[in-house]
Amino acid sequence: MAVREIEPIELELDRLEHMAESGYYNPYTLFDWPDAIEPDKPWMSESLTTLAGTEMWDELTREQQIALTKYEAINFFSLNIHGIRELMSEVVMRIHERTYANVSEFLHHFIGEENEHMWFFAQFCLRYGGKLYPAQPTLQADSVEHLSPVARELVVFARILIFEEIVDHYNAYMATDESLPHIAREINRVHHQDESRHVAFGRMIFTNLLGQVAKRDPAEVPLVAEYLENYLRYSIATLYNPAAYRDAGIPDALALRRRALEHPARHAAHERILKRTRTFLTKSGVGRELVK
Amino acid sequence: MQAVRNFILERNPKLEQLDDDLDLIDSRAINSLAFVEFIFLLEELTGESIDPEELDLDDFRTLNAIGARFLKQKAAS
Repeated sequence: MAVREIEPIELELDRLEHMAESGYYNPYTLFDWPDAIEPDKPWMSESLTTLAGTEMWDELTREQQIALTKYEAINFFSLNIHGIRELMSEVVMRIHERTYANVSEFLHHFIGEENEHMWFFAQFCLRYGGKLYPAQPTLQADSVEHLSPVARELVVFARILIFEEIVDHYNAYMATDESLPHIAREINRVHHQDESRHVAFGRMIFTNLLGQVAKRDPAEVPLVAEYLENYLRYSIATLYNPAAYRDAGIPDALALRRRALEHPARHAAHERILKRTRTFLTKSGVGRELVK
Repeated sequence: MQAVRNFILERNPKLEQLDDDLDLIDSRAINSLAFVEFIFLLEELTGESIDPEELDLDDFRTLNAIGARFLKQKAAS
């Protein structure tokens, strides 16, 4: 990691650190885990499934619809777990480095809380679903080789931020969805509460690093915008897991996935999911309008 | 194999020629973000599921390797 080329990160984090301290809870005793999920209840909000708003949803039997909410909830929490594994390893390798010395106090809270989130997501999946979906493969020769070290550093924190903002869109909705089992609502609520601090931090560090990229070479900003746009699309596509369709007893999972991803109702849903992030990227000067 | 070629060419408009021996991964013709979609395409073409935790990257490096491993034919055919 070429952090020497990056100027030390200075951020005003007193408020976020204070909130992390005063809101600290024991995740291992916080939740009251029922023995089973009520059989007729959806595991995630029906309007957040990947077929919502399409004829493909209407064509399912009620059993298949409930099964789809179950397996897409497991997919959603599995994506959370794998996303946290990635972001934790990146942050662990940076904490107490010279560049991050001034933000290490907050990074301790961040790493600790993320580990706890990973625990309760895994608990839910393993207790009630009996499994996690595996992480998607990644390539060593990655998609950022054409970027400068500081832009790559920005990409690390941008991926964390984008991942957290997409997840938070789901958590915020499901935290108050009365159709869900209590435990599913609770997990989403608690995660939403912690993530508001992580998103606030993520936006601050993103703005700092983007400033460093633009100062070094303004011509690199559109390249970062292009990467981020691809990453947004990639992140949305990971929600559409053919294994979840198969587990829900829906035939032709791969063809269904393609149809769903191309469906106008789903394009509109993707815009809603990404709206907050896109607005932030545009205001920051690195939105999709820069992509040729 | 044409569907595989199209997938790569659509994502790499600057690539004028796609050699059967081109290293698709080192040359970044397929990057991390596209790799997942590429695997789903191969699953759909072959009807064979690919376990993300078991896959061997060398099976995906060139059109020749992909043809031999997944499509049971020479890349050029």
